[in-house]
Amino acid sequence: MTTHIQENDNQLIAKFSGRLDTAAAVQTAEDVKPLLEAADKEIILDCTDLEYISSSGLRIFLGVRKDAASHGSQVIVRNINADIRQVFMMTGFISLFEIQ
Amino acid sequence: MKSNKSYSGVWIILVAAVVLEAISCIQYFYSRAGIRAEAEQRAQSELRRAELEINVVMVEMEAAVKMLAAEAEKHVDNPDSIAAATRMLLQTIGNVGSVGIACKEDLFPEKGHWYEICSSRQPDGSIYTRQIGGADHDYFKTEWYHNGLTFHGCKWSEPYMDRYGARTMVVSCTYPIHNKQGDVVAVACVDISLDYLHQVSEYLQIYKDSYYSIHSGKGLEIVSGADTVPGRKYQIYNEEIDKTGWKISIIIPEDVIFADLNRIGLIVGLLMIVGLALLLFIVWYAGNSNKRLILSIEKNQRMEGELHVASTMQMAMLPQVFPPFSDRPDLDVYGIVNPAKEVGGDLYDFFVRHDKLFFCVGDVSGKGVPAALMMAMTHSLFRNVTEHEENPAAIVSEMNKALTEQNSENMFLTLFLGVLDCKTGKLDYCNAGHNAPVLMADGQWRMADVVANLPLGIEADYAYKAQTTQMAYNDLLFLYTDGLTEAENVNHELYREQRMLQCLSAMTDSRPREVIERMQTSLDEFVNGAQQSDDLTMLAIRYQIPAIVMRNDIQQIPTLAEWIDGLGIPEELNMPINLALEEVVSNVMLYAYPNKNGQVFVEFAKLMALNSQPSTFVFTVTDSGVSFDPTQQAEADITSSAEERKIGGLGIHLVRQLMDEIHYRREEGKNILTLIKKL
Repeated sequence: MTTHIQENDNQLIAKFSGRLDTAAAVQTAEDVKPLLEAADKEIILDCTDLEYISSSGLRIFLGVRKDAASHGSQVIVRNINADIRQVFMMTGFISLFEIQ
Repeated sequence: MKSNKSYSGVWIILVAAVVLEAISCIQYFYSRAGIRAEAEQRAQSELRRAELEINVVMVEMEAAVKMLAAEAEKHVDNPDSIAAATRMLLQTIGNVGSVGIACKEDLFPEKGHWYEICSSRQPDGSIYTRQIGGADHDYFKTEWYHNGLTFHGCKWSEPYMDRYGARTMVVSCTYPIHNKQGDVVAVACVDISLDYLHQVSEYLQIYKDSYYSIHSGKGLEIVSGADTVPGRKYQIYNEEIDKTGWKISIIIPEDVIFADLNRIGLIVGLLMIVGLALLLFIVWYAGNSNKRLILSIEKNQRMEGELHVASTMQMAMLPQVFPPFSDRPDLDVYGIVNPAKEVGGDLYDFFVRHDKLFFCVGDVSGKGVPAALMMAMTHSLFRNVTEHEENPAAIVSEMNKALTEQNSENMFLTLFLGVLDCKTGKLDYCNAGHNAPVLMADGQWRMADVVANLPLGIEADYAYKAQTTQMAYNDLLFLYTDGLTEAENVNHELYREQRMLQCLSAMTDSRPREVIERMQTSLDEFVNGAQQSDDLTMLAIRYQIPAIVMRNDIQQIPTLAEWIDGLGIPEELNMPINLALEEVVSNVMLYAYPNKNGQVFVEFAKLMALNSQPSTFVFTVTDSGVSFDPTQQAEADITSSAEERKIGGLGIHLVRQLMDEIHYRREEGKNILTLIKKL
């Protein structure tokens, strides 16, 4: 599981690849910290290469979402696969994020 | 080997020769002694007879001469009467050849100085009497006359040539004739020709080539034997006739005595040589045929040895590393072949291809070389046919065809062949006359249902029928050959299926290895050291719960995903099951073990629908941590806004969402959570 963060003029793009399971979540939580510090920028969680997510990963997403909301930023989840979409559906996350 | 053989042959001949020779020698010398004793006895008895007969003759002669003398004394003064007396005597006594009366000088002056009257029998039987004394026959000088004058009684002369009387060699018996004054005036004389003596003693020739002789007291020959030949050994037996001092001898050359024995000895010797030659031939022939036999035995042994090697190699080709499939947690297989002393024909084999376990257990009829060959052939056929065929009936039919066509020894093979679909637990099998395997399902052992197919190798076109059964997780199939059920103890009792089932019934939760080892122990206890007479093959297959054990470490989570990938779960269920299990397991890892040490154990089972397709997937997660029942947790809030959301509670929510059923129980200090997902 890797997390790669890219910064544009008005965007922070976090590109996840691999399986975001409980084991990987510890590192991923560290990796996404820059997202939390960046206010007033649009945050894009690029899930094109994300294969799998568990509740630990969802918690990280939720953390990002909450932090962004407190800064008035928007979080966009991009390119989730069917499995992850199913998880988002089951957890109501589908309504918490803007899914592209 | 060869030189040993011919040496022993020579030894046999030598020993036989020595023994035979010794026997012959002993027999020969004993026979010789016996024959010699017999010859002596016979000679002595003939000699006594001769003595007797000669004595009889002599007594007759002596009687005759006495009669003549007595008659002559009556007419001692009349020369004519004396002549008549001789004539009369000859007429009276038949076996006397000639008699005579020799008068003293000038007894009858009118007759001259010599007067000897002699009567002799002529060839025509007439008696011829004449006066034979004269200057040319001066009997006064003869021994017999001198005997007659000087001996008072009968006196036998030495043999002499009687040229005047009998005209042959004679001995004479003389008796004095007295005048009235008692003076010896004449000599009566009776002659016996030696020819006659010879005649009366003919029987003294007791052997065809033996001799006899009669010698006078002075050593003159009365009856002459043959001359002895220097260098030839003779046995001489003597008897003396007291009356005359004659000596009768029987002379037998030794080679004559022992002629029969020697002839027999010769025959025996020849027979012995023939016998020894025969023996030599037999020994040589036996040696040769032994050699042939030994060669053929050696050849057989070598062949058997080679086949043993081949058989060992063949067995080495059978799966012998257990557990055989490190990558198949759903299969536990264990098998053994205990070959009997002889090269035999048992086999088992198994392998996995495309998630299917192909396996077989077979038993070739008979033992030895042909059985081993058939076993080897069967094994390669199993491997070859299963490469392109998955239907047990088709596999067995094809194997049967090949085996029947190449079966010149009228052998056959019983075989149980199965194909287990590991994904579904469906077991297709074909039982070709083999012992029905035993299946353990739901804690119960039962003989598998088998239809009666012919063994392989009998009918090339036999249509084998396959059967199907459903194996559930933890079911165990136990296969064996009759080396198990027909194992004999020293009392010739069979182990039988009952004992096998009894042994199995005690093992409802055992692994294949344990099942077979305990079966072997039970069998060993039963046979109690009796010689194993048949190959013994056992194969146990457990279609089992795949399980994974994880340490209480969140970094173990990825192994869970790998494990689930290997369970053969339908693709669309992979993620939900994976996620649900991860939530449960990670929950345990995060909260169940406050002191961090512990394990999480996950078991997988699938339940089959009636169509033999998997319908339900059951996972059991067990931990020994603090008691925690996730099913009692409140439903997570998934409708509130992100701001209102609590972090946490999502995991159990997901599990509820993903699974069809969740059951929790606490047993023996363990949290046992069962997750059920239906297709």
